[in-house]
Amino acid sequence: MYAAATSVALVGGEARPVRVEAHVGRQSEAFKLSGLPDTAVREAKDRVRAAVASAGIRFPNRTVTVNLAPADLPKGGTDYDLPIALGILAASKEIPPLREAVVVGELALDGAVRPGSNAFGAGVLSARQNVPCLVATSVVGESASIPGARAYGVDSLAAAVDLLREGLGRVEPAEPGAPIVGDKAPDLADIRGQPMARRALEVAAAGGHHLLMHGPPGSGKTMLARRIIGILPPLEIEDAVETAMLWAAAGRRRGLVVTPPFRAPHHTASKAALVGGGSGNPVPGEVSLAHRGVLFLDELAEFPRGHLDTLRQPLEEGVVSVARRGSSLDFPASFQLVAATNPCPCGFYGDGRRPCECRPAILGRYRSRISGPLIDRFDLVVRVGRVDATEYSGPQGETSASVASRVGRAREGQSRRGQINRHLDVGDGQESKAASRLVAKAVGNGVLTARGGDRVRRVARTIADLDGTDLVEEHHMAEAIGLRGEWRDE
Amino acid sequence: MNDLRVMAPDGPDYPVGLLDLEDPPQLYVLGETTTAPAVAVVGTRRCTRYGLNLADAFGHALSRAGWTTVSGLARGIDAAAHRGTLRGQGGAVAVLGSGVDVVYPVENADLYRSILLSGGAIMSEYPPGTRPDRWRFPARNRIIAGIASAVVVVEAGVKGGALITARLAAEMGRPVLVVPGDVDRPASVGCNHLIRDGAHPVLGVDDLLTELEFILGEPPNQMPAPAGVIPATGLVIDDLPSIWECTPAEALARLARMEILGEARRVGDLVLPGSG
Repeated sequence: MYAAATSVALVGGEARPVRVEAHVGRQSEAFKLSGLPDTAVREAKDRVRAAVASAGIRFPNRTVTVNLAPADLPKGGTDYDLPIALGILAASKEIPPLREAVVVGELALDGAVRPGSNAFGAGVLSARQNVPCLVATSVVGESASIPGARAYGVDSLAAAVDLLREGLGRVEPAEPGAPIVGDKAPDLADIRGQPMARRALEVAAAGGHHLLMHGPPGSGKTMLARRIIGILPPLEIEDAVETAMLWAAAGRRRGLVVTPPFRAPHHTASKAALVGGGSGNPVPGEVSLAHRGVLFLDELAEFPRGHLDTLRQPLEEGVVSVARRGSSLDFPASFQLVAATNPCPCGFYGDGRRPCECRPAILGRYRSRISGPLIDRFDLVVRVGRVDATEYSGPQGETSASVASRVGRAREGQSRRGQINRHLDVGDGQESKAASRLVAKAVGNGVLTARGGDRVRRVARTIADLDGTDLVEEHHMAEAIGLRGEWRDE
Repeated sequence: MNDLRVMAPDGPDYPVGLLDLEDPPQLYVLGETTTAPAVAVVGTRRCTRYGLNLADAFGHALSRAGWTTVSGLARGIDAAAHRGTLRGQGGAVAVLGSGVDVVYPVENADLYRSILLSGGAIMSEYPPGTRPDRWRFPARNRIIAGIASAVVVVEAGVKGGALITARLAAEMGRPVLVVPGDVDRPASVGCNHLIRDGAHPVLGVDDLLTELEFILGEPPNQMPAPAGVIPATGLVIDDLPSIWECTPAEALARLARMEILGEARRVGDLVLPGSG
């Protein structure tokens, strides 16, 4: 007696079908599980047996064999509990065959269905293959939010059995869930003074530009960086789903959250934690968890050089390849890089009011860590100056909400052009003659490097977007150059 | 190119400070003089790069702030102070130990001409044609001390003209401001002794300007910095919007244009004039 159910595995943040084949034989009682299961999947045996008993259904006292196919794909997590249970019940004729329905969910010993981590993956497969999907009630809104998905929520194994006995075709699928706004980011109103850095943050948000802030310790670089989330526009639903699936692949639950992710890995993080890896099924790293959001690297110069080099590919291509013996897996990793650094180990290099106490050799080594090629990746490079004591008691800054509305308007122009300005090909924008001359002159006399010149043009486009004009004027270009206060020897 | 004038102690434009001397001398003068208070910047000829930079910065900042500076056209600190002044608003006065038409040392001939061209003055108590004999220089120093309302010593060894100027100035009740230095650096030994004896230590350009304003009041020839011009002491970048009365966006654009034209450069938190 054989039956099969479909479930989902996430490979490279992408949903792939997994066939859960169940066979109930004639031999004496046994429960075998094959198909590269990890420990969590192996333990499904005990949960399934208990949950079936709790649901008041007889568990076949024969040889039960379950295979997860394709067999070469490593499978992990608890999402296969429910499909295994339903597969076995279908094989022992307790319920009608499942046909193509995609099933995802973890079982509690009392038969309750827990969300697991793959509700979005189930929805994606449901939509792609035009089949229904069955997930825990608490997350059915997530599956249903995928356009074209037919999702059904169950809160217990017994409810799933009832639903399948009745037939999925006779019940209405669930409504899409409402997008969730994440925790409120800290507000820009908390930042006093820092007019230039605030402006840089606004421009960075408006064009999705990579931003480097440098300045003495305590000047507020980290405070500023953490506030960028509050002025970024919310994610489109499909981007929120894509992000949530990457999170799920990393074993983290993230609902239909439309607030862009903000990831701030510490400089002691391993390379694998940063770009993804791990044994068995590779999991996405911080660069992919920050997909469609912001990757914040505080103390940039403290990151090992090799780690920073691995950021090159995602910065250029928006994906990161995790190499494995014999294969390599691509994870989406299109993020906005925001970084902060002290100008030197003591923090006071370039401070007009306090001398730097670093020894020249140490200073040189520190500054060379953040040099040419890396600096050239940043569209905006701003000095965040020290705030005078008087400014702490000064008036509050502009609120995030009012900056966010300008950023939102600037993004409208970009969505008409089809891409954010960070990805813009230089040369396809409209630039006034004076603007072109200015940037050529700046490159000519060494204020900008050639690559810096390209970056500046993209930023100028964003500034024009903030201004609501199609033509990049000279003053847009001049400001963009001003926002690349280059990291050079002073 | 300039007419030689002779100023007598009882004349109308004779520097009042010199009347504090026991023997106010008659002065031979080339160029333009003012009766406004002046600040002397002096130091040793055997100076260090550190001293040269400071003397130049002091001359520049003093001139920008509106002070006339006085020095001795000697090699080293004196020349650097004159040069800094010329990069500012000008108003340099050089007091020579030779006749006003005898340039000594010859390497400062350009400087001598620049001082006259920029509206400064060359003066001496010796008649034209007088050769620069060593013994005349200490006497020249008493004129510097007399003309100046305050004396700044940048670097000085154990003995030397700068110490004489400082001592004479102190005797006449002039404030003496001194740059401290490493205790084992020959060019700073004299300075450190002066500080131990009660001279006011100067801790930087800003400190110097603040202290002078405290002692002498507002500088006489204050010229409001034209909008957009960066003072020698620099501007804090984050202050630009309020100084230029514009938005941060406009300030960034303007700063960039000035950088491209070489009129400004960024150094950490500061924007400095491009030339230096």
